[in-house]
This record gives sequence, C-alpha cells and structure tokens, in this order.
Amino acid sequence: MASTAEKKGFWSVIWEYLTTVDHKKIAILYLIAGGIFFLMGGIEAMLIRLQLAIPNNDFLSAGLFNEVLTMHGTTMIFLAAMPLLFAFMNATVPLQIGARDVAFPFLNSLGVWLFIFGGIFLNLSWVMGGAPDAGWTSYASLAIDSPGHGIDFYAIGLQITGFGTLISGINFITTIITMRAPGMTYMRMPLMTWTTLVASVLIVFAFPPLTIGIFLLMFDRMFGSSFFLVETGGNTIIWEHLFWIFGHPEVYILILPAFGIFSEIFSTFSRKRLFGYSAMVFATVLIGFFGFMVWAHHMFTVGLGPTANAIFAIATMAIAVPTGIKIFNWIATVWGGSIEFTTPMLYALAFIPSFVMGGVTGVMQAAAPADYQYHDSYFIVAHFHYVIVGGVVFGLLAGLHYYWPLMFATMLNETLGKISFALFVTGFHVTFLIQHFLGLWGMPRRVFTFLDGQGYNTANLVSTIGAFMMALAVIILLVNIVMTVAQNKRVARDPWGDGRTLEWSLPLPVPYYNFAQTPLIRGLDAYWIEKKENNGQMLPAESLDDFHMPNNSILPFIISAGLFIAGFGALYLASGREWAIEAVSDLPQHPWAIWVLITGLLITFISMGIRSWKDDLGYYVTKEEVLNDLEEQERGGK
Amino acid sequence: MAEMEYNVPSERWPSHPETATHEGKNKFYGFWIFLAGETTLFASLFATYLALKDSVPGDDHLLAADLFALELAFVMTMFLLTSSLTSVFAVHHMRNNNFSKMQLWLGITVLLGLGFLSLEIYEFIEYTHLGHTFRSSAFGSAFYFLLGTHGAHVVFGLIWITMLIIRNAKRGLSVYTAAKVHTAALYWHFIDVVWVFIFTIVYLLGVV
Amino acid sequence: MAEIKQEPMSQKKLEYIRRERTKEMRLQLISFAMMIFLTFIAFGLVALDFDEAFVTPVVLGLAFLQVILQFFYFMHMKDKGHEFIKLMMLVGMFFAISFCVTFVYIVWIGAPI
Repeated sequence: MASTAEKKGFWSVIWEYLTTVDHKKIAILYLIAGGIFFLMGGIEAMLIRLQLAIPNNDFLSAGLFNEVLTMHGTTMIFLAAMPLLFAFMNATVPLQIGARDVAFPFLNSLGVWLFIFGGIFLNLSWVMGGAPDAGWTSYASLAIDSPGHGIDFYAIGLQITGFGTLISGINFITTIITMRAPGMTYMRMPLMTWTTLVASVLIVFAFPPLTIGIFLLMFDRMFGSSFFLVETGGNTIIWEHLFWIFGHPEVYILILPAFGIFSEIFSTFSRKRLFGYSAMVFATVLIGFFGFMVWAHHMFTVGLGPTANAIFAIATMAIAVPTGIKIFNWIATVWGGSIEFTTPMLYALAFIPSFVMGGVTGVMQAAAPADYQYHDSYFIVAHFHYVIVGGVVFGLLAGLHYYWPLMFATMLNETLGKISFALFVTGFHVTFLIQHFLGLWGMPRRVFTFLDGQGYNTANLVSTIGAFMMALAVIILLVNIVMTVAQNKRVARDPWGDGRTLEWSLPLPVPYYNFAQTPLIRGLDAYWIEKKENNGQMLPAESLDDFHMPNNSILPFIISAGLFIAGFGALYLASGREWAIEAVSDLPQHPWAIWVLITGLLITFISMGIRSWKDDLGYYVTKEEVLNDLEEQERGGK
Repeated sequence: MAEMEYNVPSERWPSHPETATHEGKNKFYGFWIFLAGETTLFASLFATYLALKDSVPGDDHLLAADLFALELAFVMTMFLLTSSLTSVFAVHHMRNNNFSKMQLWLGITVLLGLGFLSLEIYEFIEYTHLGHTFRSSAFGSAFYFLLGTHGAHVVFGLIWITMLIIRNAKRGLSVYTAAKVHTAALYWHFIDVVWVFIFTIVYLLGVV
Repeated sequence: MAEIKQEPMSQKKLEYIRRERTKEMRLQLISFAMMIFLTFIAFGLVALDFDEAFVTPVVLGLAFLQVILQFFYFMHMKDKGHEFIKLMMLVGMFFAISFCVTFVYIVWIGAPI
C-alpha cells in the first residue's frame, strides 16, 4: 500500500470516506450504517418482545407499540438486511470477477449516501413528532388515516433509500456484464456473483413499482390527490398490489445474495466444488423470474376471486421446486467433503434445516384456502422470521465472519464466534418455533397485548426468552468485533487457507486498484485451479502497465443531502391546508415548506448538472507505483 | 504515462464512438438497464390509470370520453415522433464525426420537444378550466400523474439535451461526448415509446 | 480503459462504412414512415367510430408494432451486442403487461374473476 496507508488525520479520513468511489470503502460504509440500523431494529424487536412477555402488559402503550413494530419491520428490511447484503456484494463482486472497480463508481457512492440519508430521515421521525405506525406494509387504508407525519417520514425515507437501491442494482448488473476479466465467462462466475446479478435484476424491475406506490401515498398525503381516498373514487387495493409487486421480489432480493454467500461457504469449507453448479445457476434465475409472478399470494383474503387466487397459489408452490434443487445441491456439496467447522460454516449448516422449515410453512400458506386460516396470525410471523432470520440473517452473520478478513485484513475470534453462533441459533429457534403454535392457537399478529387465560402466556414468555438469547449473541459478536479491531492482528493472503474464488488470490489488505494486472480466468473456482495446477499465482491477462482509475467526488453526498432537505419540505407541505387529508389538516401551517422543497431539489439537480457539465476523466495509476507495491508485498511475505 | 485519448483524429474515428471507450460501453449498458426499470415504472402508472380511469365521485365529473380531443393528441404525437427521428439523425451524424450537423439536429429535436411540451401545458390548462384537476377525482389524479410523469421526463430530457448542446459547443465531438449524446438520444426515444402507449391507451381507448 | 483500440481506417473502408450508414438511414426513414402510417390508422379507426371490440385489440396491436420499430430501428436493438438488453426489455415488457392485466381485472372488490 503506497499512498492510502499513510497516517492520516481524523478529518482527512472522514473526507476520504465522504468522497470515496472505491467499492471496498463503500462496502465498509454500507456495513457500518447497515450495522447501526440492524442494532436499532434489534432494540425495537426487544421492546416488542418485552411488551409481549406477559399478558396485559403496559410497558409500551398501544400507539407506541404500533410505531415500534412498524419501525422494526421497515428498519430491518430496508435499512439493515439490504444494505448489509450490499456491503458484501460491494466487497466481493468486483474482486470475484477480476475488475478494478464497479462500472459506475460515482453512482455506487451515490447509492450508499442516498441509503444513509433516507435511513436517517426515516429514523428522525422518532424525535420529530412520532414514527410511522401502519406496519411495514403501510396499507393505504391505515396509512391515509394515520394522524401526524409518521407515515410521511416512512414514504419519503423509503423513497430516498429506494432511489439508492435502484442505482446500486443498475450498477451491479452493468459491472457483471461488462467488467469481467478475460476468461470469466458467465458459467464460470462464482455463485455470489450470479445471485448478485439476479437480485440486481429483481431490484431494477421491483423498485420502480414501489417508487410509484410511494408516490401515490405521498401525493395523497402531501399534495391532496385522491388515489386512495374512497370518497373521490380512490381505491386502496392499488397500494396493496403495488406494494406486493415490489414486496415479494424484495424477499428474493434479500435471500438470493444470502444463498450466494452460503454457496461460497459450503464449497470452501467442504473443500469441494459446488455440487450441480449449473443447476444452481438455473435455479437462481428461475427463482428470480417466478418471484415476480406470485405477489398476490399476500392478498388471498382481499377477495381477488377463486381464479386469481388459484393462479397465484400454483405459481407460489412452483417456487419450492428450484429452492429444493438448491437445498439438495448444498447437501450434496457438503456430502463426503473434508469439512471444517468454522463459524461461517456452522451458520451455513444451521441455515439448511432452519430455512427448510420456513420454506415448508411457506408452501402451507400458498394453499389459498388454508391461508384464510393462517392469515394475520402469529403463524405468518413465525414463517417470515424463519426465512428472513434463518435465511438472510444467518447469511449475513456467516458472511460477516467469512468476508471479514477480505474487508479488514484481520480475523474475527473463532471461539467467540462459535459462542455467539450457538446462542443465536438456539435463541432463534426458541423465539420463533413456538410462534407457529401461537398462530395456530389463534393469536393474531400486530396486537400490542393479550389477555390472561387465553393460553398464550407460556408460549409468549418462551419467545421473549429466546429473543434475549439472540440479543446476547449479538452483544458477544460486538465484543468480538471491538476486540478484533483493537488487536488489529493482520492476516495475509488467503486467510481461510481454502479460498477457491478469485477474491482470495489478492494480497490483504486489498490494494485500492484491486489487481496489479487483470487476471486470466481458466475455470470455475479460478484461484483453486491455480493452486492445484499451478503455483497458486493467478496468471496475468495483460502486461504490467499504467491503468485508469476514477476520481473521488463529494457530489454524491451533496445530491443525497439535497433530497434529504427537500424531504422536509414535502413533509410539511400539507400541514394545516384545507385541501389536505384529515390526518394532517389540523396541524399548524408551515408556509416555508414549499421553499425548503424547492431549495432541496435545486441542490440535487444543480449538483447533477455540475456532474454532467464537468469532464471527469479519472486518473492513471503508474506502472512504477504498482511495481513498488508488488515489491513491498514480496518483502512483507518473507 | 499513457495519454488520454478522447480526442481521436478523424481517420481513427471508430464506427461506434459511443461504445468505443470502456466508460462509454458501461454507460450504454447501464442506461439500457435503467430503461428496463422504467418500463415497470410506467407499467405501474398505466396500471393505476387503468384501474382508476372511471372513478369519479359524482356524475357531474367529466370522464375521458368527454374531455379528450383527438386532434390535439394527434398533433402532439406527430411532434414527438418527428423529434425521435431528428435525434436519430443526430446520432447518425455523430457516428459520421460531423459535429455541426449533430448539434443542428439535436437543436431541432429540442425545438420539437418544446412544441410538444407547450401543447401539453395548453391541454392541461384547458382541462383545469373544465374542472378536471389533480385533486378533483381519482381519475384526475391518475391522469395527471401518468401524463405528468411523462411530461416531467420530457422536461428533463429537454434540459439534458440543451445542456449537452451548450457544453459540447466548445469541446467538440470526442468519444467522451459521443457517449453522452448517445445516452440522451436513447432516453429521448424511450420517451417516445411511452407516448405511443399513452396516446393509444389514454386517448384512443379513452374515446373509442 | 480510456484508450481506443481503433486502427486508422483506410479510405476504402471509411467509404464502405459511410455507404452502410446511408443505407441504414434509409431504413430509419422507412421505419419512420411506417410509424406515421400506423399512427394514422390508429387515429383513423377511432375517429371513424368502428366497433369497440374490434378497435381495442387492433389499436393496441398497432402500438406494440410501433414500439417494436422504435426499439429495433431507432434505438438500434437489432444491432449486435444487444442480446442482454433484448432479454431485459422483453422481461420488462412481460412484467408490464402482467401488471396492467391484474390491475384491470382484480383491483375491484365488486367483480373479481
């Protein structure tokens, strides 16, 4: 490391991160911001479980419970799970395909700042007059009537993060199509890259409907339109459709990259090639496509009619087939392998039974008539926590341990890792297994309390105890992270010893230009091939020469800040106006709102104009600098 | 030190200047993928419009058949279709390395776009006088949101192309600027694609 | 990355490419004429008050035809290097149609299919 590892002042590090376009630093930004939101969502979950620990509890008021519940769901899905996955996608995908950066480094930075500003906007609702309280699905019939500005925070916050996500999706697809190293054909891409590609395609098609849905809600609440106002002809079912057209692909956007992480971990720690690679790819694409054709299974009880319900029920059941293919391929990968029980591998192994349980209850709900029974009960809560926690969160924790050395060039402590694994997995099953039964016994979801003598007492207490085990596991994980960062014990290339894919062939910490020479890819598991058939060095596909890198820029930060400011303008626009909906028409007027809105949008559009106006040609990394770095690595290696 | 080679001499002008550089190629793919996302964006708008097009609070509210004038929609269509052709001309001259003609056709595209936009504004004002507004009914909201989003795309495109004409006036044609012009042209065509569905689904099927 | 891998073109090759481009321009003009023609028919069918059951599918078909022309000729989707793009647009269009169909048929509680 020549120029970046020099001792820098605190402010210059901050400035570096504000302006960075380096995918590895952006990954760290996603990890930190997503991690903080994950902790906030976790605290909200603890509040929910505390409230429900005993019958007739008054720890939280009913209204506050609704807010906590809404923010728990929204934060976990939009601000924790997805950004954390983006962290790992950013950290690995360009390295796995042999690229020096993503296709649009500037947009990558814009994506992370939009997400951070959107997340802050949403969470400011806690201190600015109340959080949203209509559930993370924010059905219009509830959302339109919710008094105060909570729902407006939801709408604008998600709109801003949504733009960021869409931009990141486009960026990843383009990167994977155009930036692959010579020899890296589509069918040689690691599964993490494949799942990122398919998840990004889903993002590109699924987020625009959400954008429109949220615009409808914003216009109704802030600009006096009547999409959802029944008295002027509106129809709230439109929101449900638009939300689930987005919402169902969204769960695949979450789970597919987690599948990718698990696939990498299974083959690395079984020291075997992934079983049925092409079937895995095919299944991934199929899941992605089917994921779009099933959204109405969230709406079976709306009254769509038997024909529509039947179509969506069958399509939903069909998804179990490619998912089953994946499960069996993972088992076959581990089967007969030389297994090493590291923390990531433990999470991956625990994922298989947990996720299968979530999948099976999913197929149960796909049967539309049976769903009338499960609908809006704790059975549903148990189901989606089994797939989201047992699938996505296990994937994130596995990925955190697995990719930590790649991102920070240190290793998380394995003993602490295994302790927190044991606590987390046990706590997870204790919390959610019992909720299936709570649902079947009749406990509805989203209730803030229950009465004594309904038979829910013990089960709810068990569930709460499990939740605290998970919280303890996360605390141990945090301790582990702090210890690792404080010790700062550097590891060298290929720290797991069994790295198969291209990213492990790089020296740690990874140089800012990633590859001194673009590598030549000779097959699936490119690095493993070179280890077995060669000297463990990637063959270069180009001679050592100067190469081109993008410039840093502060503009993404400013563009996002502009939208953040404009958000407050839009938020207060309808307060106290006579054309506004009842929920906000009693509030005091804010005549300045329109000017805040205009100022914010001007900041955004002028910065975009500046970006377009200026020639941004990047700079060249010289051959001499790269040679210096290579020599230093050589010396460090000896 | 390798030199930036954006300004290539005319005998080495590539046959596809917009994708000649790596950045240009990325831009080309990335923008197409963005347009794919825009299809579902507009699909959601069309779907919302189709669901709400007959939803008004009372019988005294005007519906599509009472409002729309085919003549105006036809003239607007001609403006936008022709502007799509003129941007094809601009790209043609860009590939032929003919900077001044490219600028000329881009300018004509902007003028035609302005023609379309002023007709649309005129139309909206007319409807507002008839009591058909964004807030009058669900039909009104859906109509103005669909047409307004398309109109906002037109405005954005006009500003974009105008800025390109001005910023490139000094810089001339290079593979760097060619990629920018090509992206803007793609965007402009897509606006026309959306309009084809608008005049069919909103106007023609509205009065049929 | 910024380097252009373009050899200097011989005069002959340049002339050949120019000729090809002129040919292409002719195609573009033809497709423009067809678009105008299709638009005329669509507006004409509606203006002449044909039966709704006949006009609706025909007009929609004409719109799709026109959009295909726009995509393949004006936006050069017929050229090489557009394979992934074609796939993306096709999938996008498929989703678009399915959204519209569901919104037409199953948004109303009153008349579900």
